Amino acid sequence: MSLAAASFLLFILLAGTGALLSALLPERRVPAGLAWTAALASGALMAASGATLESGTGFAFPLLRLPVLGTLGFGMDRLSALFLLVTALVFLPASIYSAGYLARYEGRYSLRLYGVLYHLLLLTTALTLAGMDLVTFLFDWRLMSVFCMLLVGFENRKQENVSAGYLLLAMTEAGVLAATLGVLFIGGFGASGLDFAALRAAAPHLGQAAAWAVFLLTFFGFGVKAGLLPGSSWLPKAHPVAPAPVSALLSGCILNLGIYGMVRVNLDLLPVRYVGEGLVVLIVGSLTALIGILYATIDPDMKRMLAHSSIENMGLVTVGLGAGMVFLASHLPVLAALGFVVGFYHMVNHSLYKSLLFLGAGGVDLRTGTRDMNRMGGLLRVMPYTGLFFLAGALSIAALPPFNGFVSEWLTLQTLLQSAQFGATGVKVVFALCAAALALTAALAVTCFVKAFGMSFLGMARSRPAEQAKELPRSMLWPMGILAAACLILGLAATYVIPALDSVAAPLAHGSITEELVPPFFIVGPAGDARYGAGFVKDFHAIGAQVGRGLLPGRGLVVLHPGGEKNPVVFAMSTAYTAVVLVLLLAGLALVVRWATRRRTVRRGLVWDGGVRHLFPDMTYSATGFSNPVRVVFQAIFRPTTQEDTRESVHGHYRTALTRSQREPFAMDRLFLFPLTRLVRGAAGLTARPHHSGRVNLYTATVLVTLLVVLIVNWVRP
Amino acid sequence: MSKWIIQGLRTGVKSTGYPRRPEEAAGVTPGLPAAESRWPSPSGAEGAALTCPAGALEANGTSLAADPRRCVHCLRCTLGPNPVPWEGGYEWARRRGPGDAPLFGRGFHRSLHVRVVDAGACDACLSEIKQLNKPYYNMHRLGLFLTPTPRHADVLLVAGPVTQAMRMPLLKAYEAMPTPRRVMAVGTCALTGCLFGPSFASAGGVGAVLPVDLEVPGCPPPPLAILHGLLLLSGRTKASDGAREALKEAAP
Repeated sequence: MSLAAASFLLFILLAGTGALLSALLPERRVPAGLAWTAALASGALMAASGATLESGTGFAFPLLRLPVLGTLGFGMDRLSALFLLVTALVFLPASIYSAGYLARYEGRYSLRLYGVLYHLLLLTTALTLAGMDLVTFLFDWRLMSVFCMLLVGFENRKQENVSAGYLLLAMTEAGVLAATLGVLFIGGFGASGLDFAALRAAAPHLGQAAAWAVFLLTFFGFGVKAGLLPGSSWLPKAHPVAPAPVSALLSGCILNLGIYGMVRVNLDLLPVRYVGEGLVVLIVGSLTALIGILYATIDPDMKRMLAHSSIENMGLVTVGLGAGMVFLASHLPVLAALGFVVGFYHMVNHSLYKSLLFLGAGGVDLRTGTRDMNRMGGLLRVMPYTGLFFLAGALSIAALPPFNGFVSEWLTLQTLLQSAQFGATGVKVVFALCAAALALTAALAVTCFVKAFGMSFLGMARSRPAEQAKELPRSMLWPMGILAAACLILGLAATYVIPALDSVAAPLAHGSITEELVPPFFIVGPAGDARYGAGFVKDFHAIGAQVGRGLLPGRGLVVLHPGGEKNPVVFAMSTAYTAVVLVLLLAGLALVVRWATRRRTVRRGLVWDGGVRHLFPDMTYSATGFSNPVRVVFQAIFRPTTQEDTRESVHGHYRTALTRSQREPFAMDRLFLFPLTRLVRGAAGLTARPHHSGRVNLYTATVLVTLLVVLIVNWVRP
Repeated sequence: MSKWIIQGLRTGVKSTGYPRRPEEAAGVTPGLPAAESRWPSPSGAEGAALTCPAGALEANGTSLAADPRRCVHCLRCTLGPNPVPWEGGYEWARRRGPGDAPLFGRGFHRSLHVRVVDAGACDACLSEIKQLNKPYYNMHRLGLFLTPTPRHADVLLVAGPVTQAMRMPLLKAYEAMPTPRRVMAVGTCALTGCLFGPSFASAGGVGAVLPVDLEVPGCPPPPLAILHGLLLLSGRTKASDGAREALKEAAP
């Protein structure tokens, strides 16, 4: 048995033990126990998936062999190993963090229940990804959805939380039903079973209409889980009310499952064949990104803002994958690999920084008792480390170098710019429009996270709890530190991450991008080789692309896409070198300024506050005020509803009280969820009215007739 | 748009010629009582001094001295059978404080940023200050700018007698200014407190609160007087005592 397989079995054992232990331990021991068992289980999962990702040789545990369903069981290939690795990377810090966070529920809610559900969620999420046939996959998916819903509604005395949990369950179940239908469609074309290998073998027999049907059903079905348009309504409701570690898991792992389903079906089982399919993915992704970031920018609720931002990031992931699909359908395997690598890269990055931000937001929520950024402010003074780690997350998500978000967003835009390779003008136009939407998204993301960090951690405390907040305990800071470090490392070591992701993407795209994206400056000498001529290598050695050779392993530190004769370099960058130069520049600048102003006397006065007697926190800039320009400019999308409440006296001549509140209902609620709910309700009313008369005889007759029909059908069919 | 340009060209420059040429339009100044006037008898001079409600006139034997820093242009002294002589002119700004060294270095000649503080003014002075920003006086052409924050200001222009309520904001604004910084008091109230005097509600002039570098008398001072003060501060013009005489004919 290989190391990966052994680690995976150990993981199942540990997670199961954890669930049992949580049920048996006394209430006050549960947090520490949960932290240990879940973290150890995540570590085992990390070892299993890391080993598989590195070696490429998966494993399989066939458990059952059934006549119609085929081989049922677990296994791991590189694709699921990548998603499992991300899951483990997020679960590890979230588990350690949970221990401290659970203190707020002590005595009010059952910690044992939390512990059991948490371990079961970990187990089922991993088993969903490790399911190597449709039955296992869907069975675990269902269990995972239920545990998700229970954890989201963990604070079950609050109506809002419980209903958010139900909404999550209902929407994702509807989505996965559609997706199941889609996959069964493939099975209907002569597959010998429902294991992935059999489905893969049956896929080429599908005609055009069937392929489109499978694509639409699975893309939009799994898209609900990933938070893509139009089914993203559950996200901004479920994320804010869940306990912070669960919010981190929802964003960091559970959303990825939607992407996994989409990739598994549309790239692995039935690879996309038509450019149109890729364009649908691309457009949906761009719109999702734009809508997500618009709502994130204006939302003053910290966790809801992060939830909207998750929608945006899932959109960006989808854009990368969609671009790859278009390239794949256009028979450009290398660029297809680029699109997939970019999509996966952004997914990994999003999992890391979004769980970091959710943990940070949860810590702030724990200490101030509010998620409203208008009531925070000045938290950096009282919670310096939380603020520092939150800042790292904010810099990553705002795509600033040298953090990881920069690498993937930059590569996404570069991928879209490769549309010059197409002949068709229409495709080029779509790519250009999507790139423009993405550029706007990136700019708004910076605004959004300047607001998030500036309005909550800087300035004056706008409420008493924010003024008197205390720093989080070490056990909650460490997980955030780990994630922040991971964000930085994934940014600096882009040239090491890309080959690893390429090993996942290459079989899907039938082409490899490593050679095209990471030139081996550390390997090829100054003389060059067949692919990298002496001139090319010399030019780049002259500006220092080989710095670090001999010290560092790998191919180099420069991400560079070489082109043809006319333009030898299509795009290039290096976060590692940029970071070094940035540090040197900033340090040098600080020294120069220090030297130049050494004779200057400095008079330190108070902040200029307009000369008021006392600067009240209410007078300072708030999160709502900061984002108001965006709210006004994009009013056509937000369609705000305002509610004014005036109390008038003396025949309406005097106003004694006036409150005005403006709310922006989520566009997808307005455009998709509410009309759909109305439609379903109306249809249900229409169809059910004749049957539901309340007479028992009629119900019995219906049951009998149904039974008869089933029997006759089975009798007629051989 | 094109119409604007043609209209503008057709209208030509309407701004005042000051400081290159003296301003000669009617009504640009309310005038001030003559600094020194001779009277036939000490009783006549004392009688004239008593007509002034602001205490700007002081009899000294047969001569009557007028203090422009207290005059409120009520013209009461000109109404009796023996009117006090009255003069035109507008270059009224005077340095205050010791020394005659330039108030600002050469770098400020064509770039001076002014923060205006209303320290309890009746709005007359502020109304005149606003005129400076309009096309006729057009202070921008001289490199003088109003700024909304003292952080960018070189000059603190104060109008009003500094009421109790405005004392702290005024000090805060001064504290917030970078050096070199100068204080300019504009209007009779800001100079002496005048009718409001030092009282429970008023400090009685900016000088009681901050070191004043330049004073512009008048109630309110005409825009040209304020402009003269600003030019004096920036070092682009010299204080001219002869200016009063130059425009005697412009008297009301």
